[in-house]
Amino acid sequence: MDYIIQTVISALSVGSFYALGALGIGLLFSVLRLINFAHGDFITIGGFALIVPSSAVVATVAIGGLHPAIMIVAIVAIVVALAVISYFIVFQHSQTSSPATMMIVSFALGYTLQNLVVMIYGGRPKAVNIFPSLTGQVQLSDGVSVQILQLVIIAVTWVLLIALVLFLKRTRVGVQMRAAAEDFRMARMLGVNGKNVIALAFVLSGGLAGIMSILFVTQTGVLNFRMGVPIMLFFFIATVIGGMGSLVGAVVGGYSVGIVSVVLSAILPEELRGFRDACVFILVIVILLVRPQGIVLTKAAKERV
Amino acid sequence: MLLEVKDITVHYSRLPALREVSVTVNEGEIVCIVGPNGAGKSTTLLAISGVLNPTHGEILFDGDKINGMSAEAVARSGISQVPEGRHVFTTLNVEENLRIGTSIRKDRENIEKDFKHILEIFPVLAERRKQAAGKLSGGEQQMLVIGRALLTNPRIMTIDEPSLGLAPNLVDRVYETLIDLRRSRGLTLLIVEQSSERALKAADRLYVLRSGQMQLEGKAADLRDGQKVRQAYFGFEEGSADDGKVAF
Amino acid sequence: MIEANTPLLRLVRSFWPLVMISLFLLIIVAAVDLTGDIILAQTLIEGLVRIVIVAALYMFIGNSGIISFGHIGFVLVGAYATAWQTCCPYTREMFMPGLPEYLLNTSHHFIPAILLGGLLAALVALIAGFAIMRMSGIAASIGTFAFMMVLYSAYLRWSTWTSGASSVIGLPTTTTPWVGYVYAVITLAAAYFYSRSKWGLALRSSRDDEVAAKAAGVNVFGQRLLAFVISAFFCGMAGGLFGHFLGMLTVDSFYLGMTFITLSMLVVGGMQSLTGAVVGVVMLSVVIDVLRRLETGVGSFSIPSSSAEVGVGLILLIILIFRRTGLTGNAEIYWPFKADISSSGAMKRQS
Repeated sequence: MDYIIQTVISALSVGSFYALGALGIGLLFSVLRLINFAHGDFITIGGFALIVPSSAVVATVAIGGLHPAIMIVAIVAIVVALAVISYFIVFQHSQTSSPATMMIVSFALGYTLQNLVVMIYGGRPKAVNIFPSLTGQVQLSDGVSVQILQLVIIAVTWVLLIALVLFLKRTRVGVQMRAAAEDFRMARMLGVNGKNVIALAFVLSGGLAGIMSILFVTQTGVLNFRMGVPIMLFFFIATVIGGMGSLVGAVVGGYSVGIVSVVLSAILPEELRGFRDACVFILVIVILLVRPQGIVLTKAAKERV
Repeated sequence: MLLEVKDITVHYSRLPALREVSVTVNEGEIVCIVGPNGAGKSTTLLAISGVLNPTHGEILFDGDKINGMSAEAVARSGISQVPEGRHVFTTLNVEENLRIGTSIRKDRENIEKDFKHILEIFPVLAERRKQAAGKLSGGEQQMLVIGRALLTNPRIMTIDEPSLGLAPNLVDRVYETLIDLRRSRGLTLLIVEQSSERALKAADRLYVLRSGQMQLEGKAADLRDGQKVRQAYFGFEEGSADDGKVAF
Repeated sequence: MIEANTPLLRLVRSFWPLVMISLFLLIIVAAVDLTGDIILAQTLIEGLVRIVIVAALYMFIGNSGIISFGHIGFVLVGAYATAWQTCCPYTREMFMPGLPEYLLNTSHHFIPAILLGGLLAALVALIAGFAIMRMSGIAASIGTFAFMMVLYSAYLRWSTWTSGASSVIGLPTTTTPWVGYVYAVITLAAAYFYSRSKWGLALRSSRDDEVAAKAAGVNVFGQRLLAFVISAFFCGMAGGLFGHFLGMLTVDSFYLGMTFITLSMLVVGGMQSLTGAVVGVVMLSVVIDVLRRLETGVGSFSIPSSSAEVGVGLILLIILIFRRTGLTGNAEIYWPFKADISSSGAMKRQS
């Protein structure tokens, strides 16, 4: 029983992380039809911003050494700035292209960012230690002990989700963003400023990426120039399985993928454990074979005939 | 002249969809553009809205050039468009849809007053205020998009095929509402219609567009017998040797 | 002006882009062969193998309109399949101890080995494509990306068959420039004829308007799967060629780097043009070579490492923003002579 509780919390924690990531992808997809292959690299850069640019193996914390509140704000600000600059310099010019072209653009951006990191910080992984207290355990009950960070991730996710929902439902810009996500041209014809709405989506997406970079680095303790790629893949999978174009779908997809991933880790026999990710993908493919449009249906997913 | 479209040519890639088309709309008028499918009527409205850019010609609104402006900027100048196919935001509820219309306005008090007024004009919208717009019937959606466009406080409203997909009695009501709006608010209207009968009944002035070119222009009163309109619409003279043949 | 008014000339004209490209490559290969410069030859071989990959990419991406990030997975499959057959007969067990008896003890000549590698890749493509090609365009692209990542991590962990993170050393270096040339021409011809076949045409119709294609009776899923499998076959062979060029293999070579470079070459050249595939390879190979030399230093001047990758990234971004259709504008080499009246400018733009 205790083992089950720990697994559940673990599943919720991983699911929350993937939900946040899928949201970051989903926000940009719904407004711009962009699958952002650079999202993982935004997270990577958020992580590398913590340390002094050098190729030393043991990293010297720069921003990472500041007071927690300042550090969090600084990292989030840096990633948001990166996202917004990416929009204005890169994505804005290909806005009229097909989603496929925009995908390659983001892939190019992501790859370039990765190699810029290598250029500045070197290609070897580095150790980083932030919020060491969070990696400790907390005793929930007699037999149940979980990592504090797992609870933090779940809490942070839900705070952000609620904030996002309130923003989208209650604020003027939020409603405009929902309208633009559904029918961009019509929204513009009613006077909604397309550029601002998209820039705002990048701000939100970048903000989520910034927070995730802090959570991710706290958990893994390692910085690696390619670290954003595998997690970004999971975000994509979550978006696809949840239903593309739907933010609710992104969250549902994120939790689904997280839960499946943790459950598989728990039940897979020893030899196959390394292939856990492959099993997740196979399961996802099976689900998609049965329901190709994903779990939550939106207008975006359906074709206009 | 409130709106003046001067000899615009609009291309879709290399295909000319409109060739030197001119339309004028005076303040307080109801002007209709009729024509068969593919004539370029929607293209004309899209060029006015700023969604399409004319390759030649000019569009003047109150004397100022608006061709080349973005769609948002055109909406901001006081032209509101209700495009073909209604385009409600299905994931937003009725109230949110209406409020999008107020995006360009800053005068909060007047916005609230207008909002209440729209709900009075369209009581069915007040009833369904919190319902998702996607669940409304066709006629209700048409009312919604007109109300939404009105909330931008436009000086001129362009409407593309208000009768599309609606039962005739609903279309009657839509037109009644539009004519009423002209009367009560002095709203100027530019309507694209496929049915020349309806257009002749509702409009002050009429334009007939065919194959991207303007064929006929005149006061509705002069064209009421329909003969000249039919000729321009189909492209042949009644009673001539071509009468009865399909026009291409 | 030469008019295409004899059957022979008409024949030549209909294959004009293929003929031109093959001749162009022939001249380069012969020239490099004459100079006897080994380093130049190495660069050339690498370029020719890349042509095989990029031409295969064109076969799929150019005709289906679906971006595939996964084809390097097929190169990986083919490469190691070849290694299992031809590598290091005396030390094979040391590198890949888990291989079955038959594979440990037999060695093939490189030509059938490469062929079998291609076939294995095609089989993998058939299985994976069965699921992936059902998805919509964007989701399918994500699917190919996932596919590549899964193969990469699987091969990395499967160390008893692949030597994991270490290299497998000792493949016979049979890929000379002429061998590379032959395979390149074969692939280019296959891509050319496939595109002009009824299957290529059917697939392109779905690229331009999926709904209309389906309404016209095109089996979109089937055509996509076919293109996926055929292009995978050639990618698999490219993997074998690559292994026999380097003489060694590492799983890490077949990951994001190669994916990015080959995709860039196709896009820079022109995604929907076979000529573009070759142009892209040539252009970017030159750029990469120059930048790498600058990285190692010219005299006392050198640019930071990884500049080559950043350089290619920037070039790709610039092309995507300013000239989406690539350097060739999605056109093929056209017949510069007067065509007969029945088909004016027929070669110029592929439909």
